[in-house]
Amino acid sequence: MSSVVETPALPRFQPGDYKSDLKPVWCAGCGDFGVVSAMYRAMAELQLEPWNTVVVSGIGCSSRLPGYVEAYGFNSVHGRALPIATGIKVAKPELNVVAVGGDGDGLAIGGNHFLHASRRNLDIFYVLMDNEIYGLTKGQAAPTTPTGDKTKSTYFGNPEPSVDPCELAISFGATWVARGFSGDMKSLVDLMVAGMSHHGFAFLNVMSPCVTWRGDDQFKVMKAKLRSLPEGYDRHNRSAAFSFTRETDVLTTGVLYEAHEPSLLDRLEAQRTKAMVGYEGLTTEQVLKVFNPPF
Amino acid sequence: MPTRDLTLAMIGSGGDGVVTMGEMMAQAGARDGLNVIKVEAYGPQIRGGESSCTLRMSAEPISAQGDAVDVLVVFNWADFTRFKGEVVPKADAVILYEAADSTPISDVVIPAAEKATWIPVPFIELATKATGTKAAKNIVTLGILAELFGIPPESVRKAVEFKFGKKKAGVLEANLKGFIAGREFAQSLGIDVSARRLEYTVTAPKLVMTGNEACAVAALHAGCRFFAGYPITPSSEVLHFLSEWLPRSGGRIVQTEDELSALGAIIGGSFAGVKSMTSTSGPGLSLMAEMLGLASMAEIPTVILDVQRGGPSTGLPTKSEQSDLYLAVFGSHGDMPRIVLAPTDVEDCFHATVDAFNIAEETQLPVIILSDQAIGQSRQTVEKANLVHEVIDRRTPNAEELADYKRYAQTPTGVSPMSAPGTQGGIYQTNGLEHDETARPASSHVMHEKMSRKRFKKLEFVEEKYPLFVHLGPERADIGIVCWGSSKGPVEEAMKELAARGVSVSAFVPRIIMPFPKKALLEYMASVKTLVFIEVNFVGQLYHYLRTIVDLPAGTRVFSRSGGMNLSVTEVKSRIESVLSEAGAREEVTA
Repeated sequence: MSSVVETPALPRFQPGDYKSDLKPVWCAGCGDFGVVSAMYRAMAELQLEPWNTVVVSGIGCSSRLPGYVEAYGFNSVHGRALPIATGIKVAKPELNVVAVGGDGDGLAIGGNHFLHASRRNLDIFYVLMDNEIYGLTKGQAAPTTPTGDKTKSTYFGNPEPSVDPCELAISFGATWVARGFSGDMKSLVDLMVAGMSHHGFAFLNVMSPCVTWRGDDQFKVMKAKLRSLPEGYDRHNRSAAFSFTRETDVLTTGVLYEAHEPSLLDRLEAQRTKAMVGYEGLTTEQVLKVFNPPF
Repeated sequence: MPTRDLTLAMIGSGGDGVVTMGEMMAQAGARDGLNVIKVEAYGPQIRGGESSCTLRMSAEPISAQGDAVDVLVVFNWADFTRFKGEVVPKADAVILYEAADSTPISDVVIPAAEKATWIPVPFIELATKATGTKAAKNIVTLGILAELFGIPPESVRKAVEFKFGKKKAGVLEANLKGFIAGREFAQSLGIDVSARRLEYTVTAPKLVMTGNEACAVAALHAGCRFFAGYPITPSSEVLHFLSEWLPRSGGRIVQTEDELSALGAIIGGSFAGVKSMTSTSGPGLSLMAEMLGLASMAEIPTVILDVQRGGPSTGLPTKSEQSDLYLAVFGSHGDMPRIVLAPTDVEDCFHATVDAFNIAEETQLPVIILSDQAIGQSRQTVEKANLVHEVIDRRTPNAEELADYKRYAQTPTGVSPMSAPGTQGGIYQTNGLEHDETARPASSHVMHEKMSRKRFKKLEFVEEKYPLFVHLGPERADIGIVCWGSSKGPVEEAMKELAARGVSVSAFVPRIIMPFPKKALLEYMASVKTLVFIEVNFVGQLYHYLRTIVDLPAGTRVFSRSGGMNLSVTEVKSRIESVLSEAGAREEVTA
């Protein structure tokens, strides 16, 4: 991402400087506490200037996160964090743009935007807090809810297959794709620092348990499944990355995929620089000339 | 006696070059300083199929497309029948038609044209003989029309040179031969059509543009530097134009995955401090309803151009209708202030768009511009000198306000200083949730009422500063027409003809629909005896909307009909005549 200040001898910003004084609405034990804490630390590590940083979200429990970060923030409408983040980044490329939200927000109602934000490959760091359930609306099945699970909206068990957000992100063209766990602070901070530093669309799927609607067990079950990527894993190998998606018995964390591709802004800037040649200080009068009869 | 106002209609199939011919004549007319309005119509085919081009050229100011055709050119009678009811020749029109058409002329019936002059023309034969290809028949036709009807032959010849000058050697020469062949053929006819000959004095050239282009240029003029949009007929030309000119102006453009993303993206762009706009048509505005509410709630200046087409649903994508008024005025859930403007012609598209940006920035509200296909895609001449409009920028917080920054501070006008990311001390986290002055989520009914009042307060400022309307005709009149958008043109022309016959008629045309210039309307209502609404939508949306604002007098008439065909001068005249004669029309509604 741009606007990253070189770390000075004495850090200017401490993690606590990124904490707003708004008290989270999350339930005690919610995985999202870990995510926001990791974000404060990652931002401090990168010394992001709060006034040059925007955190954008849609709607859901996790989408309340921008309110808890001392930076510009936008808690928008359900599923629409990415279109808004896209506009912010394209209109003002010097800003650090982080998008956050839940699995329902990003994969159901906002699924289409996930595809297009991924392929545009803008410098946006997108954190999806995945608890495999709709929490704010009190416990309905989400696109990541395992098949067969009973939820408020699937009395007889979830009849639909679930999706793996990392698999989608790689397919859609995201150039940095990782999976993390909200209960593993150190790794999560590292992943966030790497994701925020990536040039292009960086997607981090954080398994973030919901104690209220998925029970106390979810944390334990997730933790028991955790596994690291094998030694010597080549994260630039796209097809290898897919072998760590759609896992059932294990949950592999780490950077699954990374590529270096031009971002939409790289291309737009190249076009713009060329387009502006000979049109510096363009006036309305000059534009109107195209409407003169040409002969 | 020659005329100062001529309407030509040309009908053919794809490949006949009807549209090219119309464009060349329009440019030729504009070059000579004539007033020109050009409208095209197509069949549903993506390529080929029937097409018609109606071109009105006048030495006098004009405000509507010609709906009574002086000169009709038909390359193919089968195509003509597809435009039945849309292209209506005058009783004494001149009709030029392909002599070799397989439809026997005895089978062609045009009831309106009982005194017409019928001229069979071997278009194909003339073109083939002169140029070696029948493709040049539109150029031959240009020669004939230039010769017979005084359409500036020198300018038309220059149009031909411009059109073919850059093609490979021989193409221009061949076409010029075709042009000359057309002129010679016309001379050889030896007929007198002098009553249809255009006579005028050459004046300074005028610009030729569509309403969509006028909106796009106005956006650049207003300082728009970010645009996001999704392709949709009939507004895509705005996206096209800006994809070329926004980067040149130092701006950026994104084609989004759908319309709600487009509005979402410009909400983001504007939040970031950059003047932003999107354009769409009815189906897109339907999708944007969600984001409209967000822009209103989070108080983010946004400009949304809706070039209306026939609805609901996919409706009539290529044809005009004024039926998105309800959606623009009432669309999106909750109590939601927004601004709605309605330009009345191509030139007004420029002014409405700059006004939209100004009002958006002054009030931090979403502003919808309700244009329509009849303006958006019609090409008209415009005086460059008229395209001047003051630009207003956003009020950002000063040092004192930043010392204790409150994004949604209560102010006398309801407008709070808006800081943009990048501003130290201006940090806030906005949201679509109800919030307090510092933007924090707040769900108490007290705060909701207080903040609703703040947001709606901004409309008072707009109603006071922007009572945008046009009063046409005399100060007092028997008949008072209320119409909006593209209906203004035909109404204005019909009024001239009615006034010439001694009918006492005026018109009130609002250029802003929300907040409505209520005071002006009440004054207007007091100046007329009978109020007549004329709208191109089935239910009479403006009429019903105004009933929620003012008590309209008993006896108010409403003439509203579905779109698909542009409002014509003839139609307006007959409506007013029916009111005068107290003959009840089917569509009539009595308040």
